[in-house]
Amino acid sequence: MTAIVRTLDEILIAPAHPGRGATQEYFLNMGPQHPIAHGSLRVILLLDGETIRKVIPVPGYVHRGIEKMCEHLNYRQIIHLTDRMDYLSALMNNWAVARTVEKAAGIEINDRIESIRTIMAELQRIQSHALWWGVLGMDLGAFTAFLYSFRDREIIGEIFEETIGARLTMNYIQPGGVMYDITPDFTAKVKKVLAYMKRMVEEYDTLLSGNVILQERLRGVGILSEKRAVSLGCTGPVLRAAGLAYDLRKVEPYGAYEKAQFDVVVGTTGDCWDRYYVRIEEMRQSIRIIEQLIDDIPAGPTMVTKFNTKIKLPVGRYYNHVETARGVLGVFIYSDGGDKPYRLHFRSPSFNNMWAITKIAPGWRIADMIAIQSSLDLVIPDIDR
Amino acid sequence: MGLVTDRLPGLLEPMPGGSILITSVDAIINWSRANSLWPLAFGTKCCAIEMLMATGAPHQDMARFGAEVARQTPRQADLMVIAGAIVKKMAPRMRLLYEQMAQPRYVIATGSCAISGGPFMYNSYTIVRGADEIVPVDVYVPGCPPRPEAFFWGLLALQKLIKSGESIRHPGIRKKPVLAAMPQGITADEIKQQLRTLLEKENTIDIENEANNRSWAQKVDQWTQKI
Ligand code: SF4
Repeated sequence: MTAIVRTLDEILIAPAHPGRGATQEYFLNMGPQHPIAHGSLRVILLLDGETIRKVIPVPGYVHRGIEKMCEHLNYRQIIHLTDRMDYLSALMNNWAVARTVEKAAGIEINDRIESIRTIMAELQRIQSHALWWGVLGMDLGAFTAFLYSFRDREIIGEIFEETIGARLTMNYIQPGGVMYDITPDFTAKVKKVLAYMKRMVEEYDTLLSGNVILQERLRGVGILSEKRAVSLGCTGPVLRAAGLAYDLRKVEPYGAYEKAQFDVVVGTTGDCWDRYYVRIEEMRQSIRIIEQLIDDIPAGPTMVTKFNTKIKLPVGRYYNHVETARGVLGVFIYSDGGDKPYRLHFRSPSFNNMWAITKIAPGWRIADMIAIQSSLDLVIPDIDR
Repeated sequence: MGLVTDRLPGLLEPMPGGSILITSVDAIINWSRANSLWPLAFGTKCCAIEMLMATGAPHQDMARFGAEVARQTPRQADLMVIAGAIVKKMAPRMRLLYEQMAQPRYVIATGSCAISGGPFMYNSYTIVRGADEIVPVDVYVPGCPPRPEAFFWGLLALQKLIKSGESIRHPGIRKKPVLAAMPQGITADEIKQQLRTLLEKENTIDIENEANNRSWAQKVDQWTQKI
């Protein structure tokens, strides 16, 4: 098998003029400085009038070489770099590495740690989806949604601040446990937040979902079929919106998800509206999960290994994954027996989800491109790493 | 501003009282510049969530400092908030954005990534170690990410810089960059209290005091008599 690698200059050859009377196609550059870029993703569009013919994503504007850096750090130090990939679900990123290392090193985790991890991760999933909801509203011109979602983000953030001490880059879930124990009034506070968020999710629904403009812009736009989603490697709400009930929390239960009852939310058509509504519904499910776990957090230590001991993995290859707010984050570690990985690779959800735009955007207008890209919920540093 | 800054000083200077007028016009211009900063929404990474989005949201509300009009295009902005890591591929684009911004322009580097490369300082093959290698930075706000309050601290530092900065006689002068680190051991409540008193002092006019305080009116009288 041969692979042909073409540079951007080779791809971007100006289309020939089709002759008199016909329209000419042209290239338009979107990003890296663009409100829809949510960071710095560059997308090159081949347009015919306002209709998109081809989409060429050009990632790499925040590529920091995290995978290479990990080779110089030991397994505890790697955790803080994972915060900086998908910063909106930092805890779940921590969890992915911690879980891989624990499985490989044979560290047994007690139920208390699992429960705390699950509750924290679900709180962050709510926060992440709520933030996404606000940003989608802002992208489509509804600034009110942004104000609502950031108001609620702060309320969940206060719990994180009190327990973890950080607002964004948490560095909380470590191999062998969690950094700090929960505070004594954690349970009461979380319950209060849940009661509040329950009301708020309904408010989100009434505020934006019923809006005619939003429905017009999302319904039937950017349809991603189940088959295509699987072949592109899409995961998370993008895949579930396409109709496949694949959720690692259910398929391969980890943490304390086995103890909780919850539904996997699936869409029917795979359009932008489904991706929108799957996330709204997932917030409700996350609230449900936490409600079941919050009352009986088992007793026990919150760290089963000593902080300053080196963790050494036996020689071999290890892979493990968790379901983040955006999809499956996989961690592959090739260990040569030392306390640092020989090679480490992240399978990040946003990277695979991004390629969906190349398949679903052609044929739509530029304005729809905004809705499509926003509904995929891309976090660019997660793509570039 | 062309007429005011270029032609007017030359006309006013020889007049009696002209220099006093120029100085007070300076104060007015700088005051309005400092209180109507339009930031460019330029965020590459995690800091952008905290610096540009959370600060614009109701809980923190950057509008109190007159800097809430985040623009997406550099041509309408005069404050660049570098929120996040700059890598080699992004560096030329950032320089371009900076050059497209309207004059006078200011730069705040927030987060350790923009200051020195931060967590990616060692062993990374793509990072630019400090945004000041590419654009001149006025205020540094340390943190990873800095709290929104810390960002306001930096914004206030920048406003101070602007107020004491450029003048009609010395256009284009640049003050030395400052590190707007918050004092050690300060709590979030203390910061909020300080910000509140600052805001009240700056933005409220005590009408009774102003009426009694005739010095300003007297000054104007003096000038008009001189002219
Ligand atoms: S300073 Fe920290 S929070 Fe800010 S962009 Fe860099 S890694 Fe992210």
